[in-house]
Parts: sequence; C-alpha cells; structure tokens
Amino acid sequence: MLWLWILIGVLVVLAALAVYGYNRLVRLRNEVGVGWGNIEAQLQRRADLIPNLVESVRGYAAHERGVFDEVTEARTALQQAGSPANAAQADAGLTTALGKLFAVAEAYPDLKASENFSQLQDELTDTEDKISAARRYYNATVMSFNTAIQSFPWVLFARALGFREREFFSAEGDTAAPQVSFATST
Amino acid sequence: MTLQEQIRANRLRSGIVVFGFLLLLLLVAGLIGAIFNLSLGIVALAGAAIYALFALLQNRSMIARMTGAQEVDPHQIEPLRRIVENVSIAAGLPVTPEVRIVDDPAPNAFAAGLRPQSSYLGVTTGLLRTMPKRELEAVIGHEISHVRHRDTYLMTMATIFAGVIALVADIGFRMLIFGGGRSRRGGGGALVAVLAIVGLLLAPYAALLLRMSLSRRREFLADAGSAEILNDPEAMALALRRLQLDTTTVQYADASVAHLWVESPTSRVETERTGVSALSGLFDTHPPLDKRIAALEQAGGFTTPETLPAHDPFGVELGLA
Repeated sequence: MLWLWILIGVLVVLAALAVYGYNRLVRLRNEVGVGWGNIEAQLQRRADLIPNLVESVRGYAAHERGVFDEVTEARTALQQAGSPANAAQADAGLTTALGKLFAVAEAYPDLKASENFSQLQDELTDTEDKISAARRYYNATVMSFNTAIQSFPWVLFARALGFREREFFSAEGDTAAPQVSFATST
Repeated sequence: MTLQEQIRANRLRSGIVVFGFLLLLLLVAGLIGAIFNLSLGIVALAGAAIYALFALLQNRSMIARMTGAQEVDPHQIEPLRRIVENVSIAAGLPVTPEVRIVDDPAPNAFAAGLRPQSSYLGVTTGLLRTMPKRELEAVIGHEISHVRHRDTYLMTMATIFAGVIALVADIGFRMLIFGGGRSRRGGGGALVAVLAIVGLLLAPYAALLLRMSLSRRREFLADAGSAEILNDPEAMALALRRLQLDTTTVQYADASVAHLWVESPTSRVETERTGVSALSGLFDTHPPLDKRIAALEQAGGFTTPETLPAHDPFGVELGLA
C-alpha cells in the first residue's frame, strides 16, 4: 500500500514538472514570435521609406540609374525574404545599396540641403537603430528558446512536440549575439 | 535568475508587501482604538482603505506630483523619446513608456506605473545636461528594466501603503496631542497610552524600513538588465561613475506630500521616499554605487576610469545646456 502511494506521488510530481516544462517552452516560443514580429515591423518601415528616398535623389541625379535599380532590387529582396537569416542577409544588402545611394547624394549639395531629403535620411537612421534594437531582443529570445529545447530532458521530446530551433537574425559573418557599438551610432 | 523568474518573484514580494502593510495598518488602527475607542480605530481603518484605493487609482498623477515630473510635448523631446522607444524595443516591452521631465539640476531618473502599459519614465533636466547619449541610454535601460521586471509595480504598492500608514499614524498622533486623553480608562490606561504613542511614532519608520529593504538587490538587477538590453555593460558603469562624480543634490518638489511624512530625514531617504524606483542612492559616495560599478565591471570584464572623458551632453540635442 505504501509503495502505491509513493508511486502515485512520483507520478504526480512528474506530471507537474511536465506541465511546467511544456508551458515554459510554449511561452518561450511565443516570445520568439513577438520578437520576430517586432523585427518585421521595423523592416517594413524601412522598406516603406525607400521609394520616397529614391524619388528625391532621382530628382537631382536622374542619370545614376544603376544605383536606383540596385536599391530597388535590394528592397524587393528584403520584402520577399522568408527566414530570419535570409531577411538579415537582404537587410545587409539594402544597407550596402543605400550606402551607394548616399554616396551619390554627396555630390549634390542642393539635394543634401533639401529638408525632405534630410528628414528621410533621419527617419532611415532611426529605423536602422530600431532594427538593431529589435534584433537584440529577438536574438535573446531565440537564444533562450533554443537553449531550452536543446537541454535535457526536452531535447528528447521537443521535436516530437513540434518545437523546432529558430534561426538568429544575423547575416553571414555576424556573430550570433552582435556587439553593437553605441559610441559610433551618435 | 531569468526574467520570468524575476517577475514572478516580484509578484510574490508584492503580495508579501501588501500583506505586511495591512498588518501594520491593522496595528496602527488597533493602537488608535486602544487609546481612544474602538469605533475611532475602525473609522481610521476605513479612511485608510479609501485613501489607499484612491491612491491606487491615482498613482500615476500622484507620483508625478511627488517628483515634479511634467508632461511635455513629445515633439519637443523627440531625440529623447526616440532613445526610450529604441530601448523599449530592445527590451521587448509591448509599448513605449511616456517620458516626463523633472526640472531639477540633479541628474536622476525614475520609472513609475503599475503595468508596463501605463508606466512612464521621469528624467531630470540635470540628467540630460550631464550625460552623453551612450550613458543616457544606459540610464534609460536601467529604468526600462525596472518596468520590465515589474519593480515599478512593487514600489508603487509599497509607496502607497507607506503613505497611508504615515497618514493614519500622523492623524492618531495629532488627536493624541490636541484631543487630550479622551480615553476614560483606569488602571493600565497610562501604560497603554504610552505604548500606543511609541507605536504611532515608530509605525511610519517601520513602513519605510519595509520599503527600503525591497530596493537593494533590484538595483543590481536593473543595472544588469540595462547592460543586457543594450549589450553594453560599460555604458552603465560609466553612467554610474558620472553620477558618483556629480555632487548636485536633489531638490525634489515634494512639499505637496510633506503631510504624508512625519519629518523628512536625509536626502538619501528622501529619494527613497518619493517612492518611485529611482536610481536610488545615486548621490552616495558610499559603497553601494561602487559595488554596482564593480558588479558591472566583473560581468563585462573591463575597468571604469576614475575620471571621465569630457563629452557633449545629450541635452545639447534638445536645446538644453
């Protein structure tokens, strides 16, 4: 009789642990989802700024077609990117293309002086800061989620329960947890 | 300790705080009942309950009044609002807290509000005039961590209850002085009265102690939170060092809450008393600030310079300084 009670007690404790652990995984996965939503919102905001920016530069430097095409292509690539790693790659590509666009803009003092252009530039910088902020949060949530499903005992059941490891939002060459230097972002 | 564990622990502590304060309140009301008569004690208890309820509903504006934090047109402080927004995103907060400005030369900041959705940050003009952007971000990160950990919830509760107890004890004490010995008791009446007076005198300090016992460790945790959110422990350490070197004293406009308190002790306790989880003890040249810097240095593997390089304060961007 005593053994029966001990067995029941052990089973109850195990069941409680299983419920707690499962709920924790669900919570962590939802946090990853929220983090990814934040990044997507900021990426979308960045993409939305591009057409206006291209138009305002085109007004002064219509012949620099190659640069405009490159920026537009990079924007399309970003909007079509599916996975976090692809999106990070496309985002880095857009940054490169925009660098060229701003290099072109350098040659036109009138353009640089225009209020519209400087406002767009300002908003773009702000969006880039926000993307890097959202990335830090997202990568932190991915880190906790992945660690949780790679740890014993969940490593045994996670796949069967539909928990898959998530990708970090980082382009090739980035480290998983990017060191963001705030000294240079001022 | 993970974030979720931290939040849960804070919920539990909030419960304990509320319970502890309720006990204290019962004690104070009991003392009033013992000195005068029972119905007066009940009236005091009911009054305290109504006051606490009112304070809970009004906590946002109450704390704003206590600290002198003022709402400003968001466009006026756009660069600052942006920093808060970015830090909130990095912290994964569902909303960006509102920013209010305290016109005070001392560099300081606080976070207030019961829920992240209704919380706001207060930043002194002194802070904006002192800190360069990187360190200001670290300070904002510290306050956002308080919001994220639900420290603000715990602190708001503690403040309200401490205020209620001080108020009730104060009223009881005054009645004792001006009302004379209205208790018509024989025998041990005098002894009860003496004990009651001592109790009424000490109650607010007990409340204060309870409140202060809560705040030590969470400052370390908020520092660590800021370092994690910004991925920059050095910035937090530099900000703390800058605050340490600053000698301006706080002059919180808190005369409006003077009636809540029996008397105001040192400025250190005064900032604690304003109730919000401020970067408390910023003006201490004592161990705490050193310890906080040391903890960050240990985590980040760097050393903070004794003197800080000159920087353009962030206030320049806002047209201050």
